[in-house]
Amino acid sequence: MKPSATSGGVPVCSCCSEPAVIYQPASQRHLCGRHLVCDVELRVASTIKNESQIREGDRVAVALSGGKDSTALLVIFSRILPSFPGSELVAITVDEGIAGYRADTLRAAETLTKQLGVNHHIVSFRDMIGDDLDTLLTGREKEACTICGILRKKALADAARNAGATVIATGHNLDDEAQSVLMNTLRGDLPRLIRDTGTGSPSLFLPRIKPLAAITEKEIAAYLFVQGLFPVLPECPYTKYALRAEVRTMLTRLEQLHPGTMHHLADSKKRIEEYCEGMAVMEPLRRCQECGDPCSGDICQVCRLRHSLGK
Amino acid sequence: MKVILPDHAPKDMVFGPGTVGSLLNELGINPLAVIVSRNGILVPEQAVIGGEDEIRVIRIAHGG
Repeated sequence: MKPSATSGGVPVCSCCSEPAVIYQPASQRHLCGRHLVCDVELRVASTIKNESQIREGDRVAVALSGGKDSTALLVIFSRILPSFPGSELVAITVDEGIAGYRADTLRAAETLTKQLGVNHHIVSFRDMIGDDLDTLLTGREKEACTICGILRKKALADAARNAGATVIATGHNLDDEAQSVLMNTLRGDLPRLIRDTGTGSPSLFLPRIKPLAAITEKEIAAYLFVQGLFPVLPECPYTKYALRAEVRTMLTRLEQLHPGTMHHLADSKKRIEEYCEGMAVMEPLRRCQECGDPCSGDICQVCRLRHSLGK
Repeated sequence: MKVILPDHAPKDMVFGPGTVGSLLNELGINPLAVIVSRNGILVPEQAVIGGEDEIRVIRIAHGG
């Protein structure tokens, strides 16, 4: 790192003379708040354009939990989507029914969508399957993230279709992507590692895009903080059961010791996808015999889960 | 110096002047897991702090 000029003990921005708020190891730059906001929004717009994530006339459903990543995604989209002619924005929040956690994030999501003037839809596990997550997990708490993930994906997909969306955008950041690569590797789950959800298939499922996949979690937090938008919210009580929490701690430590680790991991996914292109790694998609949703076996994960929950 | 820890607990510390990075190191906190403000303004790990500064260490990762 080159020595930087300082102002009041704070390094100055590499683009102007204002005090910096963050150091970006990848670009070896210090950035002030204004240039950080510009940098993040430009990089997200670049990801969307380079990967053709959004097309003219798309109705984009942002999966809005109310947490920092989806908050940042909705704020950025509200600013850059007007440059995609004919595109529209809608926000969808899934209320899993988690006591002491979801009520605060729901309020944050409602406040944000009102501020931004974005149409907001809320769907709940109770409406979809008849119970909230806390009840469904009685005696099965260690499976919390698996069960929640399956149901949330279904709730989001159904709500997006009902809202007339043509694409679903999620707030996964670079850290999330690196964690997922490592988790799928640890599980030996090659099909999930290379699964392409960005393309979609009009008759089967909507494309799911990740416009923040090149932005680090720290950049997203700083992006929101400098605009007074960083949400201070409780932590999900089921996090302690998640493999992701352990992987996150390990990867954050590795990234500190070996900068670039997360970027290399996320990049390796793209390389493996290229190597596997055209190979029969994944089961062909078919329809669930019970509900008709797309799946890789005879019965989809949601229906299997319904059976195991006695629903 | 007053430090607000990620769990919102306040802590009075004799520190510095030194960098935000060295403070986090002393607290055993990975700088990639937090953002840090000085008197309400976000600062990078290389910023020098001390004296009567109020430092807030904010955890950035939530959820499962």
